[in-house]
Formats: sequence, C-alpha cells, structure tokens
Amino acid sequence: MSETAKIVLAVAQLLTVASALLVTFHPNILYASVALLFTFLGVTVMFLFAGADFIAGVQVIVYIGGVTILVLFAIMLTSWLYQIKLRDTRKRMAIPFLLVGIGLVPFFYKAAEELANRVLSSPPANFEAFAGSPKTNLIGEALLNNYLLPFEGVTVLLLGALVGAVWIARPR
Amino acid sequence: MMTFLDWMTGLHGFLFIGMILAALGMIAVIYRRNSIGILLGIELILNAAGLNFIAFSKYRTAAIDGQIFTLFIIIIAAAEAAVALAVILRLYRLRETIDASEANLLRN
Repeated sequence: MSETAKIVLAVAQLLTVASALLVTFHPNILYASVALLFTFLGVTVMFLFAGADFIAGVQVIVYIGGVTILVLFAIMLTSWLYQIKLRDTRKRMAIPFLLVGIGLVPFFYKAAEELANRVLSSPPANFEAFAGSPKTNLIGEALLNNYLLPFEGVTVLLLGALVGAVWIARPR
Repeated sequence: MMTFLDWMTGLHGFLFIGMILAALGMIAVIYRRNSIGILLGIELILNAAGLNFIAFSKYRTAAIDGQIFTLFIIIIAAAEAAVALAVILRLYRLRETIDASEANLLRN
C-alpha cells in the first residue's frame, strides 16, 4: 500500500471514530443521525481498502441511501414536527460514560495488537491479490451455490419484516 | 520498524476501529433515552461486526465467505431498522413520546 493510500485510510478511520462519537454523545438526535451518515461513509472507505468493493456499494445504497433517510423520516414524523424532547440524553451520565469509553481504549489497543499478531503470524499466501480482485462475480456465485438457503431465507425475512412494519405502523 | 500509520492501516487498525465502534454503539444504547438514538447505537454495533468480518475475510482466509456474512448483516440491519421505526411510530401514536423509559406498556 502506498503512503498516500495509507493516509486516505487513516483519514477515513478518523472520520469514522469522530462521527461515531457524535452519534453517541450529541444531545440533538437529528444531528446524531446525520453524523451516523458520515460514520457509514468512513466504514465504506474501510471496506474498499479491505477489498470489499461490492459490499461498499451495498453499504452506500442500503445504509446511506436507505436506513439514514428512514431514521430522518422517523425523527421528522415524531419529535421534530412537534419539538418535544429533542434533547433527551441522560445528561448527568455523559462524563462517566466518556471516562469509561476513554478508559477502554488501551484495552482495545492491546486486544487488537494480540489478536492481529496471532492472525497475521500465519497469513494466507495470496491475500493482497485477493483483496485487489473484483468481487461481484464471486459473491454472485457464492450466493447461488453454498449460500442459496440463507439467501432465500433472507428474502422471506425481508418480505415478512416489511409487511410486519406496515402492519405495526398502520393507522387505527 | 512498524510505524503507527502502518499499524492503523493493517489488520490491527480494522480490529481497533471495530472495537471502538461496537463500544460506542453499546454506550449509545445505554446512554440514549430517545428510542431513535438507541436504534442508531444498534446500527453502529452491526456495522462494527460487518467491519470485522470484512477484515478477517482479507487477512485470515482470503476467501469470499466473510463478505457474504457482511452482506447478510446489512440486509438484516435494514429489516431491523424498518421494524424498529414502525414500532417507534406506533409508540409515538399511543404515548405522544419516543422516550424509551416511558415505554412501559408491557410492565405489570
């Protein structure tokens, strides 16, 4: 990986963590959900760098184009229009939670170090070539061979979830 | 000598960011009172799981299976978001609030 690519990836990671902090701690839920959009964007860039081009596209379509917009709609349909309790985090708990979060970071650092070193001690021979190859073909074949049953199951799940969502949110 | 930039852009960085995202998501689930905020935290956790699958699919197996799992995680997260938002809308109609600590219809 070139130095420029490394810097791009590091910037994406910084964007991910910074906007995830906003998602967790910003008192206004509308700003938090817009920050979630940038978290997804940062994770998408990380997917690209790990060789998941197709998944990155799906992430943009489903998360950034779908879930975030759905969340924004829910905010508009509930609290936004009526201005009730938009600022409702447990404010007194903010400092303790921040301290706990910061205290966990060294443990995460050490755990990532140990786990990654263990995995990288016997890496697959061709992983750089694998990461650089296009994945759409492979994913299509895998979905229709080894993963056919989960694929069909997930289609039924999606249908059920959508019908159920409409039924739950129906007007009385 | 491995610099910090190398550390962050290898498997270490992916795992580290994944752990931070998952922890922030859990903190959001506990810390938020707004139901939509809790939903945002769940999305963060699911995304962290997907990130780990992708990272290991490159550095551990160099095979497509990890990416398929991430695909399923994304699909299920979308379905979960749709159902959760329907429940939130329903709760809002019943109670005029989306505060999770006032959603006590199932109590007693």
